[in-house]
Amino acid sequence: MLHRLLEMVDNTIHFPEAQAHCDIPCGIYDPSAAQIAALTVVRMMDLMAGLQSGDDKSRIEYNNSMSRYIAVKEEHAEKAKNEIRIIWGDYFKKEKHPNVDDLAQKIMQLGSKCRQSADRETALEFVDAINEFSSKFWETKGIPTKKSKAPYAPALEMVYPVF
Amino acid sequence: MPDYQNGDFVLILRSPFCITRFKSGDLIIFSHPFYGLLIKRIHEILPNGDLYVIGNLENSLDSRKLGYIPNANVIGKVIWSFKRKKYS
Repeated sequence: MLHRLLEMVDNTIHFPEAQAHCDIPCGIYDPSAAQIAALTVVRMMDLMAGLQSGDDKSRIEYNNSMSRYIAVKEEHAEKAKNEIRIIWGDYFKKEKHPNVDDLAQKIMQLGSKCRQSADRETALEFVDAINEFSSKFWETKGIPTKKSKAPYAPALEMVYPVF
Repeated sequence: MPDYQNGDFVLILRSPFCITRFKSGDLIIFSHPFYGLLIKRIHEILPNGDLYVIGNLENSLDSRKLGYIPNANVIGKVIWSFKRKKYS
């Protein structure tokens, strides 16, 4: 009876809806999104390092550009972490893949450091760790991988599956 | 079986009124930048106040994917629920 009353009220005023969110699971996993996001972090750091400050007018441009590069760096470091988190949590099972936990944890920490600083070396380690994660992922599927330079700046060597 | 199904209602005590009463095992509603409004159970409260949350099914989203939930993202604590009638 009470539930029925709440339903009627909900139909009128529309209570906010919260999700309990269980995974389906859909089975669609791909670390490439994390790899691209990590590359973007390095790219943003390179653009930040390349900015030159100057007179008042160009200082406004400098501040505008720097702010945007930082915002994109933040967004993509977190995106890379999130993509890895999903594959780590949903796909890898501790009992089957015991050596992935430490790597995933390392990626989380490097991703946070990339947000906290503009240190390129840290970002390169971030890319390397995600490449290693990608290798392990494709290995579980029996798909060989190769290393090639990304066809866009910062043109780092990346792990790609060979289908 | 999940605790809640589509169509269930919950009554919450909104933050900050419940802020000092969080404990492990509490059901909370919080906002997540990626998943939106979620209902999960507190597994652990960190010294800085952030929350590690879990679901009660093996495939549930939990803080391994959601990350630690900042206290500021908590909307409130569930204090009552009104479940829809299940027809057999």
